Amino acid sequence: MSLDPGAETPAEIPHEAVTAAGAPQRSAASGGRGRDIWRSVLRSWSGRLGLVLAVFLVGVAVLAPVIAPYPPTKVLLDSSRNERKLEQPCVHLLGCDSGEVQHVMGLDENGRDEFSRVVYGTRLSLLAGAAAVILSVVVGTILGLISGFYGKWLDNVLMRIMDIILSFPSLLLAILIVTVLGKGLINSILAIAIVGVPTYARVVRAQVLSLKEQDFVTADVALGVPRGRILRHRIFPNTLTPLIVQSTLGFATAVLEIAGLGFLGLGVTPPTAEWGTMIAAARGLIFNSPHLVFFPGAMIFLNVIAFNLLGDALRDALDPRTAGRD
Amino acid sequence: MVAMGTASATTPPTSGGTTAGTAAATGDLCADKAKNSSNIKAIEAVDASTVKFTLCGPDVAFPAKVAFSAFQIAPSEYLKSTGGTGDLLEKPVGTGPYVLKAWEKGSQIVLERNDNYWGTKALSKTVVFKWNGESAQRLVELQSGNADGIDNLGTDDFATVEADKNFQVKPRDALNVFYVGFNVDMAPFDKPEVRKAIALTLDRQRLVDNFYPKGSVAATQFLPPGIPGFDKGFTDFTKNVDEAKKLMEQAGLKDGVDVTLSYRDVQRGYLPQPTPIATDIQAQLAEIGIRIKLDVQESGTFLDNANAGKLPFYLLGWGADYPDPTNFFDYHFGAGASPQFGKGFDDLHAKIQEAAQTADPAARAKLYQDVNALLAEHVPMVPVAYGGSAVAYKAAVKGAHASPLSNENLSVMGIDGQDQFVFVQNGEPSGLYCADETDGEALRVCEQIGESLLAYEVGGTKVVPSLAESFESNDALTEWTFHLRKGVKFSDGSDLDATDVVDSFTVQWDAASPLHKGRTGDFTYFSALFGGFLNPPAKS
Repeated sequence: MSLDPGAETPAEIPHEAVTAAGAPQRSAASGGRGRDIWRSVLRSWSGRLGLVLAVFLVGVAVLAPVIAPYPPTKVLLDSSRNERKLEQPCVHLLGCDSGEVQHVMGLDENGRDEFSRVVYGTRLSLLAGAAAVILSVVVGTILGLISGFYGKWLDNVLMRIMDIILSFPSLLLAILIVTVLGKGLINSILAIAIVGVPTYARVVRAQVLSLKEQDFVTADVALGVPRGRILRHRIFPNTLTPLIVQSTLGFATAVLEIAGLGFLGLGVTPPTAEWGTMIAAARGLIFNSPHLVFFPGAMIFLNVIAFNLLGDALRDALDPRTAGRD
Repeated sequence: MVAMGTASATTPPTSGGTTAGTAAATGDLCADKAKNSSNIKAIEAVDASTVKFTLCGPDVAFPAKVAFSAFQIAPSEYLKSTGGTGDLLEKPVGTGPYVLKAWEKGSQIVLERNDNYWGTKALSKTVVFKWNGESAQRLVELQSGNADGIDNLGTDDFATVEADKNFQVKPRDALNVFYVGFNVDMAPFDKPEVRKAIALTLDRQRLVDNFYPKGSVAATQFLPPGIPGFDKGFTDFTKNVDEAKKLMEQAGLKDGVDVTLSYRDVQRGYLPQPTPIATDIQAQLAEIGIRIKLDVQESGTFLDNANAGKLPFYLLGWGADYPDPTNFFDYHFGAGASPQFGKGFDDLHAKIQEAAQTADPAARAKLYQDVNALLAEHVPMVPVAYGGSAVAYKAAVKGAHASPLSNENLSVMGIDGQDQFVFVQNGEPSGLYCADETDGEALRVCEQIGESLLAYEVGGTKVVPSLAESFESNDALTEWTFHLRKGVKFSDGSDLDATDVVDSFTVQWDAASPLHKGRTGDFTYFSALFGGFLNPPAKS
């Protein structure tokens, strides 16, 4: 398709109408379109890599109790076992003496199995990230719909509030919120969620503004369909596409920010396993026991890479304006 | 704490800085605790080089106390001209081997050799104090050559540094105690069974083996070895989890209990790795059904809360200021102690007071055995470990040592052909008027600049002469006379005389003095070591 790079604002290009599907009703949810999207995601190497990594991470999180050899908070320093804290990784397959107990990622500063902690940390980080994103998406979507559809002074008030939130660096604002609400996992999820709301609200609002002017909506208005019904059945389903892309990208950020708060000592309290807190606890030992910083750090890295690649691929697949650019 | 403002307003200000004459003249200062809550009756200048302290009750440890760096002597004129605060906090004037050259806030403190020093001149021309709260960072400073000495080598760095020929490690004796404290007035710790159960469950050896540096010892009692009164043959608790479970059942807590354990994330000799240690205690006590939620508090808030008796369950410790049991027992469990452990125990109060006033070492040791037994019975806290720590130096440093009281004397250290000596400690001092500081980071800097009547030997705890060449007491141990060294000059050029000594003490002693200001006005050490103040402010 031809693309006019000068016309970027959604209001000027009724892009949904240009797609082959014709009237863009519940397009994102329909079966044929869904298959197209997956095919499109899998076509690029980055999409494939992102999807594989994401599936891997989710798999680890779901199967944590099966994969982890020990409970994540179990201290293995009993006098009955001949083990020392901060033990280096020992993998029998890689030549570690079979007389020693196997610890794939070694033991941490409290004598707990690092591998089990990383695995359970995956579960906690993904859950926390997902919770934060779902919260922001729900609140952001509602605000965006109201703001875009009803407009006028309500739009002004809501969007200025969103601008205020956006004017702070997100992690700084999250730290402020956690400081006010108190430390803890639930509060850090809330903080990350609040910080994320404006992005979704603005994405949805922009979408609503462009949809409002399109023929299939104006036709409904002319036929006298109630406004609430138009909002639910015409506008909302068509905002899902950019939301899916945005929330996939936002998920990577949310997990990173949860880890950031944990690193600063504002997230989960010990002994719960969480990547950020694990790195914080081991940061002073980086020269003697680098494995304690490396493995949780690598997991955060994998997570960010996975969901960013997946998000990019999804955008390419879902957004016809940028599709086929590669 | 105490309302300083109201106190000064209601009491007529004493003339000048010297209240000694007035104080001695007003009759029996020892009878009325509202007029004088301290153990000091009078501080007098007998002549220009003799100072006499008269006490209400005997005090065996008096010389050890006046040797402490909170009681350094400052020029009388300087105390008056600064009004007891302001410049006094940042530009100390003393008689020590070094003088303050610059304090660059947030970065470093630079000291320069005092060429008029009465004793052996310092080896290095300048000494630079820097600070870093992370042991790994301090080690990097040493390894990169930026630092000549670093305090508190990290627990897990010993092997690395000891194996390296470029460095030397000086272990510091464990003259401190780390304990798990209870407020015995707050549930569920109001039940003696619960406290005892915790004491019987804690594996102290495991904590020491895993989280403490070399030279640390699992505790057997509140006093660390090396303090007279330590009872070698005594062990308060032996691990017995079955017994502990029974006790929990007796307390009606068979199904366990949820509690909050408070601590501060600050490295100390007695607590080298706060969070891992707290986490391990959490894991250990889970065995008898005590489910712990960890609560990290900011350092100052934590200490205030503990001293106010607001924390039911907490991790704290104590490092010796002077080598005497009174420094440990009286401060924590004496009649005048803070409500840190709750309202206290009368039998314990009585024994501790009796011991402090007993001069005969054998009789005193016997009394402290009783104190140990009472502590094991009441369990206001569980002593866990005596934490060893170490100072690491470059191998080329001469005179390298570590002091069990953490007051390393930098004037005897140096590297041949190098003018500057850089020492990296844990933190920046809050102020350098050490009469009103309690932080070891401030006291160590003060030690280089100022001096007290007596001193502790370099790298040890023995009391040796300093500004006072000699001293004597009467048989009742209530009158102590100090003979000052002649020809000693302060760094501002003035001469040391008895008035300086009397004023330096009186400013701290007399809470109504206009110069009794300092940084916070608490003068914690004076009050803790000598029992209180003259004209004590009304308790709020």
